[in-house]
Amino acid sequence: MAEHERSVAEIVTGKLSDDKVPEQVASLVLDAMRASAPEAGAGEGGPSRGPGRVYLKSVSVEGFRGIGPKATLYLTPGPGLTVVTGRNGSGKSSFAEAAELALTGQNKRWEDKTAVWKEGWRNLHEPDPTAIAVQLTEDGEAGPTTVTRDWTAGAVLESANDSVWAGGTERSLADKGWARPLELYRPFLSYAELGALVSGRPSNMHDAMQAILGLDLLTDMEKSLTDERKSAEAEAKAPKNELPMLLAKLAAHPDERARAAEKAIGGRIWDLAALDALALAEDAAGDGQAGLLRQVTAITLPSAESVSAALERLEAARAAVAALAGTKAADARRLAGLLTAAAEHQRSHAGELCPVCGGRVLDEAWAVAAKDSIADLTAQAAEADAASAEEMAAVRTLGQLVPAKPAVLHADLGPSLNPVVASAAWDLWASAVAAMTSVAAPSAGTVPSSQASEVMAAFESLSEAVTALRSSAERELLDRAAAWQPLGRDLAAWSELAGKGDAASVLANDLKKAIDWLRATSREVRNARLAPFARTSAEVWETLRQESNVELGPITLAGAGPQRKVTLDVTVDGVPGAALSVMSQGELHALGLALFLPRATAADSPFGFVVIDDPVQAMDPAKVDGLARVLSSVAETRQVVVFTHDDRLPAALRQLQLPATVLAVTRHERSVVTVRPMSDPVKRYLDDARAMARTESLPEGVRAVAVAGLCRGAIEAACVDVVRSRDLGRGVAHAVVEQSLERASHSLQDMVALALLGATSRAGDVPAELRSLGGSACANAFWDAKTGVHDPRHGDLKRFIEDTEQLTKALRK
Amino acid sequence: MSPSDPSARSVTPEELLAAADQLLTSPVSGVGAQWPRACALLIRLALEMTLDRFWVGVLPSAAKCGMRQQLLLLPLYTTDRPAAVGLAREAWLGLAGAAHHHAYELAPTATELRTWHREVTKLVSLLAADWPRRS
Repeated sequence: MAEHERSVAEIVTGKLSDDKVPEQVASLVLDAMRASAPEAGAGEGGPSRGPGRVYLKSVSVEGFRGIGPKATLYLTPGPGLTVVTGRNGSGKSSFAEAAELALTGQNKRWEDKTAVWKEGWRNLHEPDPTAIAVQLTEDGEAGPTTVTRDWTAGAVLESANDSVWAGGTERSLADKGWARPLELYRPFLSYAELGALVSGRPSNMHDAMQAILGLDLLTDMEKSLTDERKSAEAEAKAPKNELPMLLAKLAAHPDERARAAEKAIGGRIWDLAALDALALAEDAAGDGQAGLLRQVTAITLPSAESVSAALERLEAARAAVAALAGTKAADARRLAGLLTAAAEHQRSHAGELCPVCGGRVLDEAWAVAAKDSIADLTAQAAEADAASAEEMAAVRTLGQLVPAKPAVLHADLGPSLNPVVASAAWDLWASAVAAMTSVAAPSAGTVPSSQASEVMAAFESLSEAVTALRSSAERELLDRAAAWQPLGRDLAAWSELAGKGDAASVLANDLKKAIDWLRATSREVRNARLAPFARTSAEVWETLRQESNVELGPITLAGAGPQRKVTLDVTVDGVPGAALSVMSQGELHALGLALFLPRATAADSPFGFVVIDDPVQAMDPAKVDGLARVLSSVAETRQVVVFTHDDRLPAALRQLQLPATVLAVTRHERSVVTVRPMSDPVKRYLDDARAMARTESLPEGVRAVAVAGLCRGAIEAACVDVVRSRDLGRGVAHAVVEQSLERASHSLQDMVALALLGATSRAGDVPAELRSLGGSACANAFWDAKTGVHDPRHGDLKRFIEDTEQLTKALRK
Repeated sequence: MSPSDPSARSVTPEELLAAADQLLTSPVSGVGAQWPRACALLIRLALEMTLDRFWVGVLPSAAKCGMRQQLLLLPLYTTDRPAAVGLAREAWLGLAGAAHHHAYELAPTATELRTWHREVTKLVSLLAADWPRRS
C-alpha cells in the first residue's frame, strides 16, 4: 500500500518525470496542480486522523415523523452490533432518519421526494414541539457531544435551529468539520439507498468512490485542464470563425489593398506578415493614382516674398548696369591695357615721341597722367563687370526660384482634380520669367518695371492654382485613407487573432496530451487505491451471496466525464460481462451493502458508527445468515446499528450465536413510541445458561460446566459493555479502550477489575469490591464463573444463574 | 423429529445425504413440487443423526436434549475441532425452518440446500472419528 501513503501530488510529480512527459505538457499538468491544490487539501484524508472516534450514544426524537412524545433510543457507544426491531410503522425508521437529519441536515430517503412527502415530517399527533437530538461520544471530549435540531411551530424542515453542545459549551456544527467526512463516508444507509447504490446513476457512485479515495486533486486538475483546453480551442477557432466576415468586407472594398489581402488570407495557408504590411500600408502597391496625388502634394513653391525679393534684386542689378551704360568696361579695360603698355614703353624710352601718334613726347608728366588714367579705367571696368555679374546672378536666381513644371501636372489626376489651371499658370509664369530674363540689359534707360509686376502677377496666380490643386490632392488622399483605415484596422485585429489562434492551437494540442496523460495516471492511481476497498467489497459479497450464482470480480472506476462509472465485474454462472439486470432485488441489495460498507468503514473516517435502515427487506433467508455474519464482523471494530422490520436478522444472530443487542420499538396509539431491550449478549448467555440448567437429562457435572461457561460469558459481556460505555464516553481513544479490553480478556478477574475499578492492576480488590457492591451473591457468582469451568461446583445452578444476573446488573449500574 | 437411539436405525447419515443429493441433482418421481422440503428434511435428519452418533461416544445423555442444548454443549466437546460448532449452527439455522411447512415461508432454493448439504457433509467427516463403529 505504498502507493496509498504517498500523496497524490507526489505520485503525479514522480510519474511526470518517470513517463518522460514533454516539458511543455508537464508544466501544464503542474500548473493545473498548483491551481487545484488549495481545494484538494480537504480531499486528501491524511492517515493522521485515525479511525472511528465518534460513536452514537443516544437518539432522541420528539414530534417528528412517526414519533409523538419524546422517545429515546439508547445505544452503547463503541464497537458492537445493535439491532432495532419494530413492525412497519412502529417508528423505528424515524430514529434512523432523525440521526441522519441531525448530523447531516438532510435525509437521503427524502431528498428526491415531492413536497407532499417532505411535508409529512412533523408528527401527526404531536407536531409541536419538534426536536431531534443525537448524543455522541468523541475521542478527546470528556462527556458526550449533543447535536440537536429543533423547529418552532410552523417552521419548514430546512429552517431548523441546530446547535452542538460539547464539554458544556456550545459550538457550531460547522466547527466540528463533519460535513465533508459525512459526505465522504456516509455512515447512514437507508433501504431506498441500498438499491440506488447499484442501480442509481453510475456517475454518482463513481464520484462518491473517487472522493473517498482522496483523488479530488486529480479530478480538479482534470477539470482545470479541460476548461483551459476548451478556451484554447475556442481561441484557436476564433480566426477561422471570423474569416468569412472579413473576406466579405474585403470583397466589398474597392481598394487594391483589399485584393492583396484577399490573396494573403484567402487560401489554406495565411500569409500574416503580408497581411500586417497591408494593414499598415498607406497606399496600395501599384496604385498610380495615389502616387500622382502624393506628387501633387509634394509640389512646393517659394514664398511670394522671396519672389518679390528676387525681382527687386534683378531690378536693382539692371539699374546699376544701366548707370554704367556710358563706360563700357571693355573699352576702358582695353584703353587701360594700351596705356599700361605705353607706360611701360615710356619707362625705357622716356622723353621720346609717342610711337603711336608721334606728336607728343612721352615725358614724366605724361607718365603720371597715364598712371592715373590706368587706375581710373581699371576701376571703371571692374565696376561694369560687377554690375553685369550681379545682373546675371539675379536673373539666375529668379529663374531658379520656381522649379520646372512637374510632369504630374500633365497627368490624369482623376475626376476630382484638374491640373490644367495650375499647368497654364505655370506656363504663364515661365514665359513671364523668360520674357524678363531673356531681355538683354537694355542699352539705355531702365528695366521697364511693368515686366516685374507681370512676373509677380504670374507667380501669384501660379501659387493660387498650385495651392488649390494641392489641397484637392490632399483631401483626396485623406478620403482614400479614411476609406481604408477601418478595414486596415480589421485586418490588423484579425491578424493578431490569427497569430494568437496559432499559439492557442499549439497550446490546445499540448493540453490534450496533458489531459490524456492525467487520465491514464488517474486510472492507475485510483484503481490502486481502490484495491483495498474492492477487496472488502468482494469479501462482503462473498459472505452475503451464499451460493448465489453471481460472482463479483474486481471493482474499478472507469470512464471520464459524463461516462464515468463504477465498473462491477459481475459474472453470472461463470459468464462474464453479465448485466446487473439479471440479479435479483435481494442480490442487488446485497451488492449495494458490499459497496457501502467498505466506504462507511474506511480507515480514515472519523465515524465509528454505521446506521443501516432495513437491509433485510428483500433478502432471502440464506442471505440473512450472511448478513448477520457480515454485520457482526463489521461490529468487531465499529458500532453497527441496524433497523429491521422483522425477526429474521435477530433470529439468525441468535442461532449463529453472534453477539448483538436487540431492541424493540413499539408504537402505541397517538404515536407514543417506546424502546425496550429484547436481548443483548448478557441476556442471551443467561437464557442459554437457564436452558442448560433445566436440561435434567444431562449429567449434573456437564450441566454445571456448561452453565459456568455461559455465566462467565455473561459477566464478560457485561464488563465489555461497561468499559466501552464509560471510557469512550470520557473521550478515551477507541484504540486504547480496545487494547485494554483485549489485555484483560484472558482473566475474568482482570475483566471485572477493569469494569469495576478502572484498572487490571487492582484485580486483587475485586472480591471485596463485589461483596460491597452486591453482597455475597455477587461474589459467589463471580467465583463460580471464574473457577467453574475447571472445577465445577455441584451447587444450585438456578441460583448461580440468578446471582450472575444480579452481578451483571450491578456491574452495568 | 425426536431424536432416538441411533443404533436402532437402519440408515446412516451418509445414506441420508446421498438421498438428498439425488433429489438435488435430478427430479425424482413421486416427490413432485415438494422436493426442496423433502431434501431439507433428509439433510436435517442427517444432521440430527450425526450429532446423536457423536454423543453416543462422549456424552450419551446429550442426545436426548434439544438441539439448543446440543449446540451449547458441542463446543465443550469439540475443542480440538472448533469448526464443527459453526457448521452445525449454520446448518441447523437453515434446516430448522426449512423442513417445516410454514404458511408463508417459501421452500428453500437449490443453492441453499446445497450449502446445508455441504455443511452437514463436512460435519459428518469432522465428527465421524467419535462414532461407534457398527460391527
